[in-house]
Amino acid sequence: MMDAIQSEISRDRRAFIKKVLGGTIAGSLLLVIPAGAMDVPEQIPGMREQEGPFIKGKKFVFIVDITRCIGCGSCCVADKNEYQVPDGNYRTWVERYVIDDHDNVYVDSPNGGLDGYQKPRTDIPHPVRDTFFVPKLCNMCEKPSCVQVCPVGATYQTKDGFVLIDQKRCVACSYCVQACPYSVRFINPKTKTADKCTWCYHRVRKGLLPACVNVCPVQARKFGDVNDRNSEVYKILHQPHVVSVLKPGMGNKPSLHYVGLRREVV
Amino acid sequence: MQPEYKSKYNTHVIRIVLVLAVVAVVGVTVRSMVIPESFGKYGHYRADAIKDEVNRPIRNGTNAACLSCHPYIREMHLEGIHRTVSCEFCHGPVADHVKDGKVVAKLPKKQGEEIKTLCLRCHNKIIRARPKEAIKMISMPEHLEQKHVRTDHNCNQCHNVHSPMMWVLEARAIVGVEEESK
Repeated sequence: MMDAIQSEISRDRRAFIKKVLGGTIAGSLLLVIPAGAMDVPEQIPGMREQEGPFIKGKKFVFIVDITRCIGCGSCCVADKNEYQVPDGNYRTWVERYVIDDHDNVYVDSPNGGLDGYQKPRTDIPHPVRDTFFVPKLCNMCEKPSCVQVCPVGATYQTKDGFVLIDQKRCVACSYCVQACPYSVRFINPKTKTADKCTWCYHRVRKGLLPACVNVCPVQARKFGDVNDRNSEVYKILHQPHVVSVLKPGMGNKPSLHYVGLRREVV
Repeated sequence: MQPEYKSKYNTHVIRIVLVLAVVAVVGVTVRSMVIPESFGKYGHYRADAIKDEVNRPIRNGTNAACLSCHPYIREMHLEGIHRTVSCEFCHGPVADHVKDGKVVAKLPKKQGEEIKTLCLRCHNKIIRARPKEAIKMISMPEHLEQKHVRTDHNCNQCHNVHSPMMWVLEARAIVGVEEESK
């Protein structure tokens, strides 16, 4: 009897020491091995399983909610960080609209909203009736005029609806800069090619939201698949909302929609 | 009767054919050299350009990526009302901090006036156009006077930037002060 207890105790002791040693070794290994590659969870479900040159079965739309935007400029900062856009050029920017009680409209966008809006406008003679912010970015037209005018096939529309620029092929003739009704294009002084917002195509293909959508603290920017009936963008576009696009008369059919767009902006 | 006229010489014809052949060969060679291989595969553009665009490096991560390595900040940040604020907005893109799973550089921490500037980007009451229900607005320096602190105080002396009300609520709990009327 006594022997059995003794052996039991010694076995336990052995197991205990084994566990302790194993634990310490494993624990110390955790300290030595660096954390694995940057772990970014997928934000757009099903994108990482997509194969082939184009996105299948999804139609992405971008929605900007003007009634939510607070003009903090997070989106502009994220965009500049993501693409290292040279100073003075903007892939996305935020405009401030000020309307006085004589219905005069004042629009400004100091440094594209990159530094935020720290000061009110002091040059308006009448009392201000209304002010709001309007973020601007590529409208990703279904019928893009920029693609139509490109003489070398450097600007193109993919089958999944993104309008992109081939940086190796562009000769910076600026036809597209002039053709864009929304003035989103510019000649990048660093690459010496045309450049514009791509709705972060490289991020979307890897299952991440566009950088500006990801950082918006008030969810004024929304991005999603309109084929998915449970998505927020589907609900906004298919339920009663004040939704509009910029310059609908141009016939470009933008995929960028604005919630609460005012007459003064269009 | 007119004499039948037929040249015995056909070098001029050969010459034209030769010139045309040379032009054709040069044309085809130049065309194949100038037009990229994958051009026209899906449309009037270079198909490989899509790959180039997809392979652009991602520089901004997500808050989830940042907080996966910073558990202490995670606890504070997700508790507070600033949970929707992006880490990278204040600290810079994650690509400058982590490369291939290794820390390459420290991201700057904002100090003093910089913090105040960042706070007021969103919370400055003097800029109208910000929906009151969405965000708490304050006007400086009235806010400092109202709270009976020195007017050269920085926001982060009372507010934890990651969880703005954390210290305030803790202090209130300790002292037992009820919330002041606004």
